[in-house]
Amino acid sequence: MSQTIAARPFTARRRPGRGFSVGLVIIGLVILLRVFAPSAPADTLADTFRDFVTLSISVVIESLPFVFLGIVLSIVVQTWLPEGFLLRRLPKNPVARRVVLSLLGMLLPVCECGNVPLARGLIAKGLTVGESMTFLFAAPILNPVTIITTQQAFGWDRGILVWRIAGGFLIANLIGYIYSRHPKPESLLAPRFQDACALGDHHDAADGKIKRSAGLFTKETSAMLPALFIGAGLAGLIQTAVSREVLVTLGSHPVWSVLALMALAFVVSICSSVDAFFVLSFGATFMPGAIVAFLVFGPMIDIKMLALLRTTFTAKTLMQLTLIVALCSAVLGLAINYVV
Amino acid sequence: MSFRRLLRRWQGALLSIVGIVATVCLGVSGQLGLYIHPRYFVFTMVMAVIAAALVVAAFALLPAAEDGHEHELPEDDGGRWAWLWPAGSILIIVAATVGLLVLPPATLTTATVAKRDLNGSTSLITQKEASDLVGGDYSTFTVRDWSSLLSQGAGEDFFADKTATVTGFVTPDTSDPENVFFVARFVVSCCAVDAQPVGIPVYYPGWQDEFPTDSWVAIESGFNTNPSIRSDETIALVPSEITPTDQPAQPYVY
Repeated sequence: MSQTIAARPFTARRRPGRGFSVGLVIIGLVILLRVFAPSAPADTLADTFRDFVTLSISVVIESLPFVFLGIVLSIVVQTWLPEGFLLRRLPKNPVARRVVLSLLGMLLPVCECGNVPLARGLIAKGLTVGESMTFLFAAPILNPVTIITTQQAFGWDRGILVWRIAGGFLIANLIGYIYSRHPKPESLLAPRFQDACALGDHHDAADGKIKRSAGLFTKETSAMLPALFIGAGLAGLIQTAVSREVLVTLGSHPVWSVLALMALAFVVSICSSVDAFFVLSFGATFMPGAIVAFLVFGPMIDIKMLALLRTTFTAKTLMQLTLIVALCSAVLGLAINYVV
Repeated sequence: MSFRRLLRRWQGALLSIVGIVATVCLGVSGQLGLYIHPRYFVFTMVMAVIAAALVVAAFALLPAAEDGHEHELPEDDGGRWAWLWPAGSILIIVAATVGLLVLPPATLTTATVAKRDLNGSTSLITQKEASDLVGGDYSTFTVRDWSSLLSQGAGEDFFADKTATVTGFVTPDTSDPENVFFVARFVVSCCAVDAQPVGIPVYYPGWQDEFPTDSWVAIESGFNTNPSIRSDETIALVPSEITPTDQPAQPYVY
């Protein structure tokens, strides 16, 4: 990497006015493309393909503002806050540090899509890999929006809200603990992200804050948006291919109900801030352990989230994380179904 | 500068522009509701505007391709598969452009109804909400309200003197597709991904000759015992007349 640094000479910089004009022209062309595109749905397209497109677009339109919000927060953390503003306020004790990080979502209520760019920014500023995982997996559940919507959907019925909060907190801290023991935590990160972290401060120091913010925006969108579009396409594809009715028929079995709703959470890739309203409609059919497993597993791991997380972690790490979160969520769900 | 490096620099900005323009156009044309719940409209539009400002700032302030600062992006190594990354990036940009900007916005269709559980074993409202509906203003009831009461087991006596005035799309009753269809809507709690179909059975023999599947109809009719022998539905609307109508501005119910 350092060889690349040394070898790369400065290229000519563009004048701001010209770049501004180029940006506006591109935006104008894209608007014209939309304006002159057909406005009525094409009857020639098969219904299944149309629904695949609609479902995929739905994931993009729903997630995009949260991803933008996460990137903006990441830019604020990396560029506008004083050095170490967040991290030096965290406790020194690793356990207490992770506990505080798992509650950070209370202050930064971004849904899971937005948490990924924010976590990338925090890692770049010195958060360890294990700590970032605790934040990533706890924040979508332990934030005021998710807690309020879960309370609105279920009230105190069958302890679903309490189990969701407790389960999310425990699993996120367990994962943070496990990966804090890793001998080479940097090896858990995707190589490209490792490089970006290693060189981030070096090259930005000379630029002004606004220019650094613009640079971070292009970098983060270049990392996150392709992943979001791929994840959205996969989510749309699986939803048009897999019948949900099959899953619903498993609802009254204490074991299958848990696994079925976890599979559903993985497939639908729904935002944690409203997933309680979605799963509420299954409340009469599915056992409470299955509902809790859905509400704990879904915000941590789903198709869209895995695509986004792949920008930051290696595929092997993501497989391990998926397995751990799935096992913990299943155990929690089964315990509620059999014991509580 | 190489095309590969140019693409690396601006891929995110281009995808952002596609997403921003699609979002704003949907918002301005009142079609955002085809994809997300209305509670997100303001937040979505505000974030699109903020992102647009950042995209314009990026174009204005950043060099076209990497300068000496952008060394974390390795140059094309000339390997056998070196073309894969730029090809994949272009494919994503083209697919996003076609999906979000070229193809017209559309609702879900009967193909998704078939994949999900129409009314089925899910209860879209609680028992308490259902009991609150009983005695309410029936003239304002939506497809969702009536289908919830049907699935909660309100009997024939309850429906005997009730008239439903509803609008929805046509989807066949799989147990008797010749004589019965559902006037259906999708219930959305967050976005179209979580849409769940609900519907009221309508007994209207030969409906396929008049109304294509997925076309929108308006019905004002009383409930009755379903005359169909094969249908699984015991109570149905039995209208004498059905009016074709346009898809409403808000095709989903919430």
